[in-house]
Amino acid sequence: MTLYTERQQGSRLQDFLEANAHVLSIALFLVACCAFFTVLNDVFLSPGNLLNLLRQAAPTLIVAVAMTFVITTGGIDLSVGSIIALVNAVAAILLRDGWDWPIVSVLMIVLGALIGTFQGYFIAYQRIPAFIVTLAGLSAIRGVALVLTGGFSILIPPSLFLTLGRGTLLGIPLPALLGLVVAVVGYVVLTSTVYGRRVCAVGANTEAARRVGMPAKRILLSVYVWSGGAAALAALVIAARLGSGSSNAAVGMELDVIAAVVLGGTSLAGGRGTMLGTVLGALTISVIGNGLILAHIDAFYTQIVTGSIILIAIWLNMRIFDRGGGKR
Amino acid sequence: MNAHLAEAAKAASIPRDGTPRISVRGIRKSFGSIQALRGVDLDLWAGECLGIVGDNAAGKSTFTKILAGTYIPDEGSIELDGKGVRYSGPAEARNNGVEMVYQDLSLCDTIDVAGNLYLGRELRRGPFLDKAAMQDGARAMLKRLEVRIPNVAAKVAQLSGGQRQSIAIARSASFGPRVLILDEPTSALAVAEVEAVLALIMRLKAEGVAVILITHRLQDLFRVCDRIAVMYEGTKVAERAMDKTNLEEIVRLIVGEGHHT
Repeated sequence: MTLYTERQQGSRLQDFLEANAHVLSIALFLVACCAFFTVLNDVFLSPGNLLNLLRQAAPTLIVAVAMTFVITTGGIDLSVGSIIALVNAVAAILLRDGWDWPIVSVLMIVLGALIGTFQGYFIAYQRIPAFIVTLAGLSAIRGVALVLTGGFSILIPPSLFLTLGRGTLLGIPLPALLGLVVAVVGYVVLTSTVYGRRVCAVGANTEAARRVGMPAKRILLSVYVWSGGAAALAALVIAARLGSGSSNAAVGMELDVIAAVVLGGTSLAGGRGTMLGTVLGALTISVIGNGLILAHIDAFYTQIVTGSIILIAIWLNMRIFDRGGGKR
Repeated sequence: MNAHLAEAAKAASIPRDGTPRISVRGIRKSFGSIQALRGVDLDLWAGECLGIVGDNAAGKSTFTKILAGTYIPDEGSIELDGKGVRYSGPAEARNNGVEMVYQDLSLCDTIDVAGNLYLGRELRRGPFLDKAAMQDGARAMLKRLEVRIPNVAAKVAQLSGGQRQSIAIARSASFGPRVLILDEPTSALAVAEVEAVLALIMRLKAEGVAVILITHRLQDLFRVCDRIAVMYEGTKVAERAMDKTNLEEIVRLIVGEGHHT
């Protein structure tokens, strides 16, 4: 009699490695970067520098968490840097005019979310590509900030507000703790909630999501609300750290944020997002920026090096880790 | 020509007692200048399997997508168990118990097998996904359909075409549908899997589900269908009881020779 045997299930470890190849590779890359910059200048690994690094990485991380949702739907938000500038400027103006900081903080996050809703409406319901809508936002929103401030930096009077950017809790900078909280919430929402599942489904196959009865357009709009709100939160942190508001805040930050998300392994094609990867990606971007300064490399070269490293990292990631792994 | 077609369709209709499970009248749908459907009538009773055949671009998929709520018809009415319904989208059709397996399967590649089976009706604890319960449920669903997929936590992108098709079928058959529409469900399946799908159709019929089957595999139609409707250029041109027709006649009806005699 012929024996019909079942194919053995592959080892769990191998499945795990394949499923998490991107996260593992960015983790290795981060460690390598840290080692490299430590060799160049041993100040890099000092607690003071590391805490400073975390403080500076926080705004990028906060926005990157929300951007992970946006990119998982297959979209993009280029306007986050400009939203930061606008919120930053408006917050400084209101605080200078004597508004209470808790009210200002809440209002600013609502402002960011409203801008996100506005852009999300055009993307989800009017079907204009996210790239176009948020590119228009990138230009127009910073324009509003410039008009409001006249291009000048606005000083924020000393108050408890500034501790949001400068304070520490148990020795850890408050912005870093805030970033950690945002990242944990983002991780849980993306991996374990019905909403997170819907975001993935819309990104993987919008029509399939619609056919099984998911409110695809509403989900698509919602992610831009988060990115707008997160940008506003980041803007508050930056304003509190610098003690001033300026329409020139966070120029080019959208690129750092998108680079962090993509470095982390979230697919630009949509459908697959990893929050852990995003955290590692945001740290990597900050480590590179910080390390190059400590290595006394001319600031003009920093952008060139950052861009090259991002390209090389993503190229290696695709060449080495996608081979034989998942199909996308 | 049009009058001739209508006459042929009327002559071909087979009367039956009771309220039909689903009854459609005068369905029309145009895409731009192209008339995809030019007035289609159809009745389908509970526990019955109707085959829809026709050449490519005869309007089969458009017609079934209207039944499933994916397209909104320009004209015409749909009744479910004698009650008029108007869908604004596929979610409503699904809530009314009309399920469809699409030709393109409508799966999310980056979500695991269990997640795809429960797509749109996720098991939850509060706002959280109940992944363990969904995986158990997924194993039970697949076992009932005799589909072999060892790991329900695998991403759908890693599976073969046949396995993907099996998942799409399992998804629409497992939640107590009243009407199940299968658009080319067996095109990528191997022998044993086709047998499992045909057995499933027989089982669902026995449970009182009304099944619509679109397929190019005419031999399958003779095994599971009670009736067959032939579509041609956006109209239903003929309807036959399976036991009163044969392969040659159906082929002739599909290519359009039968109507001119």
